[in-house]
Amino acid sequence: MTTTETVHDRIGTARDELTTGQLLAVFAFVAALTFALLFLQEPLAHDSMHNFRHAVGVTCH
Amino acid sequence: MLVDYLERGVLAGVIAGLAYGLYMALVANPLLGYMETVAEGSEHGDHASAGEHAHAAGEHAHEAGEHAHAVSEATTAAVSIGSGVLWGILLGGAFALAFYFFEPALPGRGRVKTYVLAGAGFLAVSLAPWLVLPPTTPGAEQAFDPTFRSALYAGMMAVGAVVAAGSIYGYRRVSTRSRPIGVVTAAVPIVALVAITVVAAPTIVEIGAMPAELVAAFRGLTVLSQAALWALVAGCFGWLQTRAGVRPAAERRDDLLTSP
Repeated sequence: MTTTETVHDRIGTARDELTTGQLLAVFAFVAALTFALLFLQEPLAHDSMHNFRHAVGVTCH
Repeated sequence: MLVDYLERGVLAGVIAGLAYGLYMALVANPLLGYMETVAEGSEHGDHASAGEHAHAAGEHAHEAGEHAHAVSEATTAAVSIGSGVLWGILLGGAFALAFYFFEPALPGRGRVKTYVLAGAGFLAVSLAPWLVLPPTTPGAEQAFDPTFRSALYAGMMAVGAVVAAGSIYGYRRVSTRSRPIGVVTAAVPIVALVAITVVAAPTIVEIGAMPAELVAAFRGLTVLSQAALWALVAGCFGWLQTRAGVRPAAERRDDLLTSP
């Protein structure tokens, strides 16, 4: 029972498999997507997503 | 391994996102279109079904109604469907990253873990913010400026994540002794969050001239559709994991112990 994996092990595995740069790239990409999708305030893009924002419960009128 | 998880997460997100895009096209777009008409109709007064409330909320309905017309309705409909698909992909990718790191800490065996994480994600991303900022209908009137509300939404997402983590931690600590008490322990942070927001949170969203039943139906639909999206992401991700031959750590350990 000593082989139980922990969250710490997973971080270690990720570190071994990927460079810090690759990890940062993955997280930065997800963060950028979130930002673009939800908080993009450029009026045309923002208004085009009007129905979507209502449907997912995120609006700002 | 991380990249494999991410790949399966994005694929699960594509499947869930397509389903959500279909929901946007068939349900949300027409419904919101109708609700826009109700909101705008009430502004013009007594012939609208919600006429008696129109004078109080008319101005705001007007503002909200006008806001939507910077682009054509067809563009809004198409972009909203596309955004729905992207939303599924985003959730799928984020889900897979979180699952990769937190899988060892999640309670349950096998695919149960994916649903626990999906529940936690739903609580953090949607439910917790909605306790303060409920899903808004067209023509609704909202307190504070958008920047503050965005910050509030993000803050409530963080609170939701902490509550979900607390709930899972509590369950893991207690369930080794008794599973029912574990479930009760897991419920405590969530019930506390709901109780505190019900008592303390100010009313930020006023529904305006929209009939209350329509607002309730819309909010119910929003909650259910988001829950379904998370369930679909978790379900597809679990299926893809099984298909790829990934088995939970516990099973692999059993194999190691039993193999000669």
